[in-house]
Amino acid sequence: MAITRINIGPVHPSTHGVLQLVVDLDGDTIERVDPHIGYLHRGVEKLTETRMYMQNPPYMEKLDYLAPMSYDEAYVSAVEKALGIEVKERAMYIRVILLELQRIASHLFFIGTIGNDLGQMFTLFMWAYMDRDKVLDLLQEATGSRMFYVNMRLGGMLSDLPPDFEERTLETLDYVEKRIKEYESFIEKNPVFHERMKNIGILPPEKALDLGVTGPVLRASGVQYDVRKNSPYYVYDKLHFEIKILTKGDNFARYKLRLLEMRESIRLIKEAFKRMPAGDALGQPVKLRSPPTKNKIVCVSREAPKGELMMYLVADDQKPYRLSIRSPNFINLMAITHMAKGLRTADLFATLGTLDLVMGCVDR
Amino acid sequence: MAEEYPEEEFKIAKKEMDRLVYESLKGREVKPNVMFAKMSDLSRALGISKGMVKWSRVNSLWPMQFGLACCAIELMGFGSARIDAERKGYLLFRSTPRQSDVMLVAGWVTKSMVPEVKRLYEQMTEPRYVIAFGECATCGGPWFESYNIIRGIDQVLPVDVYVAGCPPKPENLFEAMIKLQEKISGKIED
Amino acid sequence: MKIKREELAQKIGEMKASGYSYLVKITAVDYVDHLTALYFLRDIDKNREETLEIDLAPTDLWLPTIIKAHTSADWYEREMSEMFDIKIKGRKAPRLLLERWDGTEGPLRKGFAWGEDYKSM
Repeated sequence: MAITRINIGPVHPSTHGVLQLVVDLDGDTIERVDPHIGYLHRGVEKLTETRMYMQNPPYMEKLDYLAPMSYDEAYVSAVEKALGIEVKERAMYIRVILLELQRIASHLFFIGTIGNDLGQMFTLFMWAYMDRDKVLDLLQEATGSRMFYVNMRLGGMLSDLPPDFEERTLETLDYVEKRIKEYESFIEKNPVFHERMKNIGILPPEKALDLGVTGPVLRASGVQYDVRKNSPYYVYDKLHFEIKILTKGDNFARYKLRLLEMRESIRLIKEAFKRMPAGDALGQPVKLRSPPTKNKIVCVSREAPKGELMMYLVADDQKPYRLSIRSPNFINLMAITHMAKGLRTADLFATLGTLDLVMGCVDR
Repeated sequence: MAEEYPEEEFKIAKKEMDRLVYESLKGREVKPNVMFAKMSDLSRALGISKGMVKWSRVNSLWPMQFGLACCAIELMGFGSARIDAERKGYLLFRSTPRQSDVMLVAGWVTKSMVPEVKRLYEQMTEPRYVIAFGECATCGGPWFESYNIIRGIDQVLPVDVYVAGCPPKPENLFEAMIKLQEKISGKIED
Repeated sequence: MKIKREELAQKIGEMKASGYSYLVKITAVDYVDHLTALYFLRDIDKNREETLEIDLAPTDLWLPTIIKAHTSADWYEREMSEMFDIKIKGRKAPRLLLERWDGTEGPLRKGFAWGEDYKSM
């Protein structure tokens, strides 16, 4: 039993990002995986201490660049809680609609890259990116930018939705729903996908919670935990949706769960449009009217598309004294060290792909 | 085509790590490692006219994608169905430097990544070009005051075209590609 | 709730037995005359959460490890010890996780000298 140590370097032809894996191999079977991270570390938590409160959202958005508004919204909620500002009701519905659109966009990117990881280069990616472009067009109409929108203000939004946003959204969502059926048949009627994704990379439920994973990875293992149902925020307690749970815990379950979550998001958006009240949705201007009390501590939990996101804010006069970000991708990456024993080399990247990592959030 | 490295930027910095990184990268010269780097040599050896060599070199630049962070998503959008990069010759985004002409640096570069970037650039065969895509590769971007990043990739590599934006839309990269092609065809007068 | 450093391992064991099986984050805050280490725990079935706070003096920075109770404490402790210069006793000193540098002080401390070197690079 001779062990070979190889290095899958930081620059490699998959679309994950900058991650270095040092792998111990016995023939073709993996004994141990050791990730080396930190190639994208730029000290975000330190930089937020030098900027005023509402100058920080651009930093927060560049953490997870596939669904930027989810991190931005968590930070703005923390500041609102520290100052004691209430969000207007129409603004709450608008925030929920835009957040669920982000979730659809992020899961579409996952469907695109799962083909890349299994060796089927770029066909599925071209289809999925084309659909993601259509969703990003919608967001560009609502906020003005494709990828980094700084449109949240304290107590509301920067601007209301454009007049016929609802019709165009419903058209796009019908198109996306048809495409989800096509992706399902593309993947599930193909025996190669079944062979390569079923019964590989199994994560049992007791081990999953102990390792600290959250999000779709945890729900595909059978544990019922979603921040939108456990401690609901905004209007999630008034909308009707289900949490999907699958029990197998292998790669196929993790892929299938994200597909089902996309359908739930479409239902949520349609219901939110019906219930949205008319009124005013604009928030306060950026300059704070009254500063928060010194050393006030605030803790906010949200359900980002990748997992559970928590922001812990210690407030000072004009700038945050300390902002601590609990990033879901950081601890989801640690799970690969406990899941990789016994896998083959080609399955390692398939398993890593179903964890759905964003390296900007791992390194912060 | 001679390439100059900005050597006065390799100063000795405060921390030991900076010193080690920069000391290891200083003083390496670029020797052309392809026999026919000049167009006149190539056209004489192959027996075709200079115009043919210029046409073939300008219209088929194969990129080496070096997408590190958020700008990589827009880079993939540049290669995908809506703004198609392949119609202008940018085929086959590959990760190997040995078979590519243009290096598209997209995203911020940290001190840990500087030796890798430099090594990959030196492995590319001549003639080679660099496009700095996005604000983080141009000047450091919003992370200008961070303790772990390099302020702009032009402290380490010679850059031909800069693209501004955070992130630039894929149409911007298309225009940068056309500018690079004009720059190359204007410069080739060997 | 505020506890002392000596009671940490026992308290974590008690809370795990009573249902707090999910460790959310381990982090620290640097108030200049003392540091506070924070452990966030959550109970999923009964929907409650708890935060443990430990005060440390700047001259005496060390904490025991809780890796036997929660496996996710592995990378959290490594990140906290690297950023704040807090030693973790009870496990082998791991290699640096996020940065490859050899400075003397953790970056997230308030006395970290930064910001001047951007003029020289």
